[in-house]
Parts: sequence; structure tokens; C-alpha cells
Amino acid sequence: MARESNKLNLQASSLITRSFILLFIIFMAIFILGPLFWLAARAFVTSWTFPNLLPDGLTLEWWRVITGDESLKKAIRNSLIISPIVVLAASVICLPAAYAFARYKFFGRKTFLIGMFAANAFPKIGLFAAIATLYYTLNLMGTVLGVIIIQLLGTIIFMTWIPAAAFAAVPQSLEDAARDAGASKFRVFRDITLRLAMPGILVGMVMSFLHAFDEAQGTYLVGVPTIYTMPTLMYALVLNYPAQIAAVFSILLTIPSIILIGIARKHILGGQLAEGFQIK
Amino acid sequence: MSQSIEVTETSDLAAPKAARLSTLGFFMSLPPVLVLLGFIGVPIVLAFAFSLGHTSGPNEIISLIGQEIYEKDSWWGTLDAYRAVFQDSRFGPDLRTTLAVTFIATFLVVVMALGMGIYQRIVGGKLAMVMISLSLVPLFVPVVIAAFAIRTFYDGNGFLKSLLYHFGIDFPTITMTTNAITIGTIWTSLPFAILMVSSGLQSIPDALIETAQDAGASFLRIVRTIMIPLAFVPIVIAITFTAIGIMGSFTVPYFLGANQPTMLGVEIALFFGPYNRPQLSVVMAFVIFIAASLVAVLYVWANVRSAKQSGRI
Repeated sequence: MARESNKLNLQASSLITRSFILLFIIFMAIFILGPLFWLAARAFVTSWTFPNLLPDGLTLEWWRVITGDESLKKAIRNSLIISPIVVLAASVICLPAAYAFARYKFFGRKTFLIGMFAANAFPKIGLFAAIATLYYTLNLMGTVLGVIIIQLLGTIIFMTWIPAAAFAAVPQSLEDAARDAGASKFRVFRDITLRLAMPGILVGMVMSFLHAFDEAQGTYLVGVPTIYTMPTLMYALVLNYPAQIAAVFSILLTIPSIILIGIARKHILGGQLAEGFQIK
Repeated sequence: MSQSIEVTETSDLAAPKAARLSTLGFFMSLPPVLVLLGFIGVPIVLAFAFSLGHTSGPNEIISLIGQEIYEKDSWWGTLDAYRAVFQDSRFGPDLRTTLAVTFIATFLVVVMALGMGIYQRIVGGKLAMVMISLSLVPLFVPVVIAAFAIRTFYDGNGFLKSLLYHFGIDFPTITMTTNAITIGTIWTSLPFAILMVSSGLQSIPDALIETAQDAGASFLRIVRTIMIPLAFVPIVIAITFTAIGIMGSFTVPYFLGANQPTMLGVEIALFFGPYNRPQLSVVMAFVIFIAASLVAVLYVWANVRSAKQSGRI
């Protein structure tokens, strides 16, 4: 649907409604952004005494502490290595399946789709407890492979459903026309199907990366104490370090999300994400 | 009406290629299914057996490590572990807290998403854009950080308390209460609901709304008889995924809630880890699973209904 054609003139834009909306926006700004700024500000202050609204002093000392701490650096490295591997693995495992769900009719198709959803309905924390039981038996506890698998599980739904909807939205007639014009099967797939489905695949990958990067509960259960990633280290930081350190770390941890969602923003808002969650 | 439009848009999906390709499709779709089967399906089955007191085989190690393990006394097992959980004085308040937070937060999230979505669809403009963008911010923020940020904000020396102190108001400390869990949950659940609902509303053709306006339908009537029915499936998806996500959440209640009563997600982690009662923690997981399944039925029903209406089944 064209985004420009939004403005229908309903009586809703009276002065009272507008001021009400404005108030609501102010409320939302405080509700959503308030906690973030309140925390982020701590990354640059020496200390903060209640009930002052301004800090006691400014400093960059906490950033130096972070860059000097081996365990923090190691967690950052772990996160930056493990998450891309998870996205890659998820792509290899899920993209062919996404194409199949979109294009072929086969035995068990609907069952598989609903099964994927059902797998999501089991409470995550309970699932991780159950998986830990299996991990003890398979000797995966505290291994990188174990962490990769646990992060992979949550990405499958994004990496299958969203690209599947994108593949399905590529008009078959376009592919047929290209075939008629003499293009090879591979070429049609590469130049038409894959290209048109790319935004959906991109959204799937971004969501998968963020999920893997932010996954804390499962990683904590199977990875700690041998493998710390950034989010799992956060649990320890919050309890054992000054709030300023946690604030610096929070800013570092949010940067990848901002960059990635910034890149894919148009497509995420454009409905690629929403489209993927409807079983067809 | 929009259903028929949807069909033409996705007709390729409605009529996938001929049956001769079906074997290839089946095998292409297998890898993710097998991964989920192996690492979600199998553990759940094992955990279920464990909860019934089957402590041998793959469950042997965990049974040796854990304390307060109830072993089966008949061929199918025993309900002793379930009985122990239900008789625990903490369980009742925990379950009530979990269900209450899930219900209230889901309700508020969906109402907010609907309100903003409808405003954006009908009025549009800059204000709507600002509103939607604001509510998508939590998408950028990892849950651990969100929970920690919200805790410092509403804390005993947080912003609200500091600000209102200067006006002579002693604002209550919200953290370590169920209210704080609800606030944190709404904060983290909002973006997904907004994305689902607003994209559902966006796909309603302008012509439909304009025609209804011309015919003199009131704002509320348009919302009730056109917008909500036509965006029904996305709205249901928003409800189910939000509710299921909240029910099993751990980080937000862990950072923001009281020690007692808290949500079952926290209790599962505590029973599994610090308390070393893995069997009881698994039992609680199944209690949440049953509640989540009831919500999931709504999702499947809505999808099937919409598929039937548009003739895809």
C-alpha cells in the first residue's frame, strides 16, 4: 500500500485530539527514552547523588576501565565471533527451507510450519533447563558449539518465516517470463527470485543476528562459566560492578543493533517482518 | 474484500508448483525442522518424562545432580513432582502473578498498538510518525539493558523520585514490585505488537475507509466494522506472540520484580540453578507451556480462519 496515501480526512484532527496526542507523545518519550538516557548518562559521570538532577562530575574514566579489562574484552570478542556464525548457520539451514515453504507443496508442509510456531510456545527458560539436561548427556555443556546451537534455535523462526514470505511474494509470472526468454533456471533464481526476495532475507538475517547477539538466558545456562558473551557478562556486571561500568557496557552492546536496524529499517517498517508471521 | 486482494497478491503461495516437485520441497524443508526436533522436541519429551519421574537413561545425570527427585512408582511414572509443586506455598502466588502480568501487559500493549496504528492509518502525518518511531526504540535495545535501565529509572534514587523530590512529592519506589514487571514488560513488548498491528492496518485499502466515511459512518464504527476485522490476523498474532513471550520471560521479572511472589520464569531458573531442584523446575515449565498452548490455539485458529475465508484451504 502506498505510504503517501495515509492522510484521510476524518474528524479526528480537531484541536482537542491533537493536544491529547501531543500529551501522549510526551508521555511515550519519557516512558520509552527516559530510562535509556538516565542509564546512558551514567557512562560519563563520576558519581550521582540523590536527589540531584545533575551528576557530581563528568569523566571518561569508566571507558578506560572497560578497554583495560581482559574479561570484558574477551566477552566482546566472543559475541562478535559467535553471532555471525549463528547467522551463517541459520541461513544455510533455513533459506532452502524458506524457498521450499514458499514454492512447493509437500507432505507435512502445514505441520512443519505450525510445529515451528509450537516450538516457540514453550517457555524459553524452561526449554533451556530441558536442553541443559540433554547437553550434559551430549557433553555440550560449556562448549562453543553448545552456545551456537542454543542461539541458533531462536533464529530459525525468523530465518524461515520471513524469507519464506519474501520468496512467496515474488510473482511466478516474472520467473516464467524470464524462462521463456531463455534464461537458465539458475539465472532466473539468482537474478529474479533471489533479488526480489533480498529485502525479506535481509530482515530475517538482521533479526537473527540481533536475537543471537542479545540472547542471554540460554547462553548463560550452558556457557557460563567457560564462555561469557556480552549479554551474559551484563548479569555479572549489574551485580558486581558500579552502575557506571554497566552503563558503558550497555552503550557498547546497543551499537550493533542501532547500526543493523538502521540498515534494514525501511524493510522492517515496510512489513517484511509482519508478513513473515502469517501462516499461509 | 481485502481477503480477495490478498489472494491475488500471494496466489503463487496459494497454488504452489505441481505435486511432482513435492519430494524435493520436503527434503529442502527438513533441516530446520530436524534441528528444532532434535534440540527442542527431544529435550521437551525427555523433560516431560523426567517430570513424571523417569530418572534413568538420558535423565540419569541430572537426577544424580539434583535434589528432591521424585522417582516413578508405576510404569507410566508418578505425579509426585507435580503434587510437590502445587503444594508449595510459593507456587500459587507465582502463578497468579505470571497470569496477571501476562494478561494486563498484553492487554495494554495491544490497546496501545491499536491506538497508535489506527491514528497513523487514519490521520497520519508527522505526529503519528514520531509516535510510531518512539515506540519502536525498544527494538534496538537488548532486554538485559532495557531491564537494567528501567530499574535505575524507577529506583529508590531514580529519575522520577529525584524529580518529584524537588516538588516535595515522595514518589513511591516501584522497583521490586509486580507493577515494575508490568512496566518493563510493556516497554519490551511494544515494538513487535506495533509492527504487526500497524502493517495489518496499512494493508487495508483506502477506498474501503473512504467509502464508509462518505456513507456517513462514524469513526468508531469504521474502526469496529472495517479496520479491526480486516486486520484481524495480524492483531491476533500480536496478541499471541506478546502473551507467550511475557509468560516465559525471565530477565525483566528477574531485574524488576520482588523476590516473592515473582513470575514463574524466574522461579524456573532459581529452582534449576541455585535451589538445585531440576525436576520441580521442569514441572513449572510444563505449567507455563500448557497456559501458552491455550494462547497458541488462538493463533492457529485465526490463521486457519483467514485461510478458509480466502479459499486457500
